Amino acid sequence: MTSNHTPAPSHTQGGPRRAGVMTDVHRRFLQLLMTHGVLEEWDVRRLQKHCYRVHDRTAAVEELEDFINNINSVLESLYIEIKKGATEDDGRPVYALVNLATTSVSKMASDFAENELDLFRKALELIIDSETGFASSTNILNLVDQLKGKKMRKKEAEQVLQKFVQNKWLIEKEGEFTLHSRAILEMEQYIRETYPDAVKICNICHSLLIQGQSCETCGIRMHLPCVAKYFQSNSEPRCPHCNDYWPHEIPEVFDPEKEREAATSRATKRSLRSRQH
Amino acid sequence: GDMLQKPRSRGRPNSQAERERDWGRGAAEEAPSTSRGAGSSQEARSASSQGSRRAEASPEVGPRSQQQLELKVAELVQFLLIKDQKKIPIKRTDILKHVIGDYKDIFPDLLKLAAERLEYVFGYKLVELEPKSNTYILINTLEPVEEDAEVRGDQGTPTTGLLMIVLGLIFMKGNTIKETEVWDFLRRLGVYPTKKHLVFGDPKKLITEEFVRQRYLEYRRIPHTDPVDYELQWGPRTNLETSKMKVLKFVAKVHNQDPKDWPAQYCEALADEEARARPETSGPAPSS
Repeated sequence: MTSNHTPAPSHTQGGPRRAGVMTDVHRRFLQLLMTHGVLEEWDVRRLQKHCYRVHDRTAAVEELEDFINNINSVLESLYIEIKKGATEDDGRPVYALVNLATTSVSKMASDFAENELDLFRKALELIIDSETGFASSTNILNLVDQLKGKKMRKKEAEQVLQKFVQNKWLIEKEGEFTLHSRAILEMEQYIRETYPDAVKICNICHSLLIQGQSCETCGIRMHLPCVAKYFQSNSEPRCPHCNDYWPHEIPEVFDPEKEREAATSRATKRSLRSRQH
Repeated sequence: GDMLQKPRSRGRPNSQAERERDWGRGAAEEAPSTSRGAGSSQEARSASSQGSRRAEASPEVGPRSQQQLELKVAELVQFLLIKDQKKIPIKRTDILKHVIGDYKDIFPDLLKLAAERLEYVFGYKLVELEPKSNTYILINTLEPVEEDAEVRGDQGTPTTGLLMIVLGLIFMKGNTIKETEVWDFLRRLGVYPTKKHLVFGDPKKLITEEFVRQRYLEYRRIPHTDPVDYELQWGPRTNLETSKMKVLKFVAKVHNQDPKDWPAQYCEALADEEARARPETSGPAPSS
């Protein structure tokens, strides 16, 4: 049984949208979404369906984009929104609840100590300044003496970095660290304002770029999924800026159907194996 | 101190209020913020406002813009949500220190607005832990369901498991129980005070420290006991988040019986339900 409260007054300062209406379906969705730092689209759809099942079995499940836009119109006056992005390596759509007003990492700040936050900041700077979007563990750990707050040893710093990985702020690949899509979604605004000279932007989508491909002639950069979409079925990829031949391998466009098939077949194989024991 | 301060110093002094906030606010200029004094007009939430250098004067208590008030309420909502995630009751003094700052004069209104948003948007009710305690918790107006566990990203509140068992024990034993009796019971389930548990970790710490800190339980020494013994009772959060009837139903379910099979407890639970149904006093009005 859905319960409707009277709709809150909409934020009318030039806002074109009338604020939507929250029901228990939306509230449960928000509550559970908040328990994830970032969530892949397929899991977001599962979550949405779950909330309908609990509160409004008979209703048709609203198209996800409209569902989220409705919630966002209510969240507007709280200066937060459910933001959609994509993983930089393979273009999976992801969602996170992000802060629009203050551009610091307030959610992070409540989970970590002062010296841990400073370690993250140091890693962030190395990542942004790097050519590849990755900072090596060694380089990050060498900055341990410069941290604000309580003194931290390298051994401890290694564990803190792992904590960042577990909490989805950083990704680790072969001893190197880059930003998780969660961090990019939450901190894009902050990063662009704090490091305006060092920050890299994608030539196609104009969003913050940490990992990507670059033109060797003119230097413009593109996200891997943006490259995939832009050069899709193009046998002679050329730089959109200087028209020189694009020298890198063109990745595949992310296909959610193929991904789900692969995941289901993996799960089936796993369950068959376990049943044999 | 402020977490991600801008590395390039712009030579402007941070106001005391800003420095005190270990809320982790970066010193971002362009983003909307309420710490830049009354009456300053700002762009809503555009990251590309034309980099104007504003003097960091200490905020005057003058008329505040609608947007600044909105932002302050937004900050407060965020603060309460994040603090409540840890299940530690939120102190009024912390709210005033970390969020309200110079808006202290309108604190009751801000809190009321924040409470309304929390309930309308998220389904959380802001309540005072105990009357005049000046500490608050969030109560979920939505009933948790079993399937929530499959789609959530964390452990959630302990609706089943060790806490519920202990709450059940306490209630069935007449609302108070000795710690030794708790362990006598839990030992039969393979839970020991001195042994690490696969699911609960350190059960002794969980029950006598964690649950107590979260105000689910009260843990008091029984005087003149040798060896020293403690008594456990329901804490104020338990009474707000659940009820005697709900706990009795849980106990009944575990035993595969009916709540009415325990007539004394059932009567007590019924009386408790009736008391709850009576009109309650209004919202989280902060006690002056």
